[in-house]
Amino acid sequence: MSGGDIKLVGFLCNWCSYAGADMAGTSRMAQPAEMRIVRLPCTGRINPLLVLKAFQEGADGVLVSGCHPGDCHYNEGNYYARRRLELLSRMMAVYGIEPERFRYTWISASEGARWAETVTSFTETVRPLGRLNLAGSGAEDDGRDQGPASGSRSPAAERQGT
Amino acid sequence: MNGIVDTIKDVLKETDLVLGWTTDPVTGMATPARFHDGKEAEQAVFDSTCVHNLAVHLPRLKDSRVGIVAKGCDARSVVELIIEHEARREQLTVIGVGCGSLLDVKKIWRRYGYGVAIEDRGDSLLIGGEQVSRGEFVQRKCHGCLEADPDIYDVIAGEVGGEIPADMAQSHPLYGMFASLTPVERRAFWREQFSRCIRCYACREACPMCFCRDVCIMQTQVPRWAGGAVDAKQSEMIQLIRVNHLAGRCTGCGECERACPVGIPLMLLLDEQNRAIEEMFAYSAGASLKARPPMLVFDVNKDIWGKG
Repeated sequence: MSGGDIKLVGFLCNWCSYAGADMAGTSRMAQPAEMRIVRLPCTGRINPLLVLKAFQEGADGVLVSGCHPGDCHYNEGNYYARRRLELLSRMMAVYGIEPERFRYTWISASEGARWAETVTSFTETVRPLGRLNLAGSGAEDDGRDQGPASGSRSPAAERQGT
Repeated sequence: MNGIVDTIKDVLKETDLVLGWTTDPVTGMATPARFHDGKEAEQAVFDSTCVHNLAVHLPRLKDSRVGIVAKGCDARSVVELIIEHEARREQLTVIGVGCGSLLDVKKIWRRYGYGVAIEDRGDSLLIGGEQVSRGEFVQRKCHGCLEADPDIYDVIAGEVGGEIPADMAQSHPLYGMFASLTPVERRAFWREQFSRCIRCYACREACPMCFCRDVCIMQTQVPRWAGGAVDAKQSEMIQLIRVNHLAGRCTGCGECERACPVGIPLMLLLDEQNRAIEEMFAYSAGASLKARPPMLVFDVNKDIWGKG
């Protein structure tokens, strides 16, 4: 398993999905190694900008996972999150990010197998898309600040004629 | 029914100031102005160069009794500001004016020379004595107009009840071009657009809904959402911040795009988001005073997207 060609970031809620991922690990379920997990108290804490910032800084796919609606540790955090995440997923294509690069799911602490399955299918979805290379973050410089983007004008810009 | 000057004079009897437009002595075009007494109000005008959305001043005038001249799009911003508690309905006197699309004076001047006289004749324009059709010189924000007349008002000045012209009911041709691009092409499109950004923050300053002012996270050091460099990457983050913070707030007035000195089509982002919000929550910002902002509430039974 090569873990080097793409980078995935997972934002997981502490109470359900992180425990679910932990269970997948302790149960020794096979999973791709591209995913880096960030643990958060609740999906309700996830600012959509966290996801977009991750893409800017070099992530090629972002997975958000939390408790099933109705099971939130804080009662209603994931209800707010659901609205934000759904809006974000609909806006991905507008920002110029393939919608497949972003996914949100609900995985409980007992669903280790489901986590392994989700992370495998997500990795397999993103891998063919390759590196993202969002505005100004060239694949070569790996998303670090490198000053103004240079190079020729895009075909889209030519067509628009600005 | 009174003209704009008499209406403002009337309103000034009950308010501390009125936000409106006057003629700029240098350019001869309309420019925003504050009127405090009847004498000042003599200078008030309303014509198709009154492009600005004056609602942007309301959050900072919360403690005054304010009169505001509002077109259809401006009135939506007023409504949304009231919903967000950034303006108080009882302190406001809305002077409604009918609008038959606004002119892009800069575009006319670039074509026909700086300072050339413009006469608005409805369907056509008389520019320096030459008759030209209006369509080409209408503000980009007027394409896809939602309301020619204000929804809320206390008094009306001049004529209202005009129809939105057929060519204004559709979105700008640029939108069709954008819609045909693949995500990869859009990435290149935005990279080129944002590489021209000079980080003047005019988009934020012109936006009635960007009322965080001194605590805007575009400029905070901790957390550092956007770095200090003037490049496509940081400018993109600035716009992502704006778009996300305007979810369910943006009334689509188009002021950010109009204010942008380098002409980045910012409304592409916001219009798409507004459309998604309308689809998901049947919510249109600024349409109703009774509405609740969609991102601040949830509905357990109706929010059924996503798997499992």
